[in-house]
Amino acid sequence: MADNSDIEVARPAETSDVELVARVVGGDERAFEELFNRHRRRVALIAGRFFRQREQIEEIVQESFTKAFFALPDFSNRRDASFASWVARIAFNSCYDELRRLKRRPESALSEVTEEEAAWVRERLRADEAGGGVESAAVSRDLAGKLLSRLEPEDRLVLVMLDAEGMSVAEIAGLMGWSVSKVKVRAHRARARLRRALKRFL
Amino acid sequence: MAGEEKKPRLEGRLDRLGRTVVRAAASNDGEADAAASSSFLYARLRARIAAETARREEGEGWLAVLGVVWRAVPAMALVAVLAFAMFLTADTSTQTQQGFSDEALLGRNGAGVEQVVFTDARSISNDDVLATIISDENREDAR
Repeated sequence: MADNSDIEVARPAETSDVELVARVVGGDERAFEELFNRHRRRVALIAGRFFRQREQIEEIVQESFTKAFFALPDFSNRRDASFASWVARIAFNSCYDELRRLKRRPESALSEVTEEEAAWVRERLRADEAGGGVESAAVSRDLAGKLLSRLEPEDRLVLVMLDAEGMSVAEIAGLMGWSVSKVKVRAHRARARLRRALKRFL
Repeated sequence: MAGEEKKPRLEGRLDRLGRTVVRAAASNDGEADAAASSSFLYARLRARIAAETARREEGEGWLAVLGVVWRAVPAMALVAVLAFAMFLTADTSTQTQQGFSDEALLGRNGAGVEQVVFTDARSISNDDVLATIISDENREDAR
């Protein structure tokens, strides 16, 4: 009797994103569902960098994949790019659009930081002066969100990409289609504005 | 001097705190995972795509109408120019051949509708009218 235990069952190679895109463009809806399932977590994580509420994140996921669906013929003409980075770019742009939309709304007032929270920021700065290590301090998420809402959307976008996503200037430039110098200038300005926002608590 | 030395240190502290703030605000993986694994997310996405497709098709219908109108603009302009040219030529020829006068048409002399009507047949003079009446009367007398 033949022993088949060491015979590996040949599994079909996973279809690449580019092949799936070609199938979607050809009218295969199942292929789009497969693309969605592969990349939805990444898109949700990107949205989670900017928005706290689950509904907002779901909205960005839907918006990003809707844009991607209608732009798939454009992607299929660009064989050099990866689908993951292409859809990430769409997701970042969707977040940017939503941040700009929220910025125009009057309820994003600057006076939301309470006196307790302001005292917390002052304490962190003093702790650093005494060698306490600001980097290791756990900042309240709510306070962080309030502080970042004081920034312009493009400043926040660049800072999140740099500090939270850990992307390099060149990577940001490639993803957003900006020049390297433009990213550097924006990052410099964004850091200056965040410093000014924090300085108010001193 | 001491103040100038303190400034870069303060900016450094603010930058570090700023980075911490950005990371804290961006650390939301739990909610992101929950959103990504949300039930019916793909079904809602398909519904949204269907709605967007319908909206775009409607927009394309209007665009098609606008396209037809846009293509018709040169032809309509040509027709308008030709009509205007014909109007001008017809106007001058009427004046010369049949003796239209603006005064008669506009009734500046208080001639009214009658004069306009008679202006169309201006070749018939008052003498002609009288002659016709007289000849009719003569004919009746002869009977």
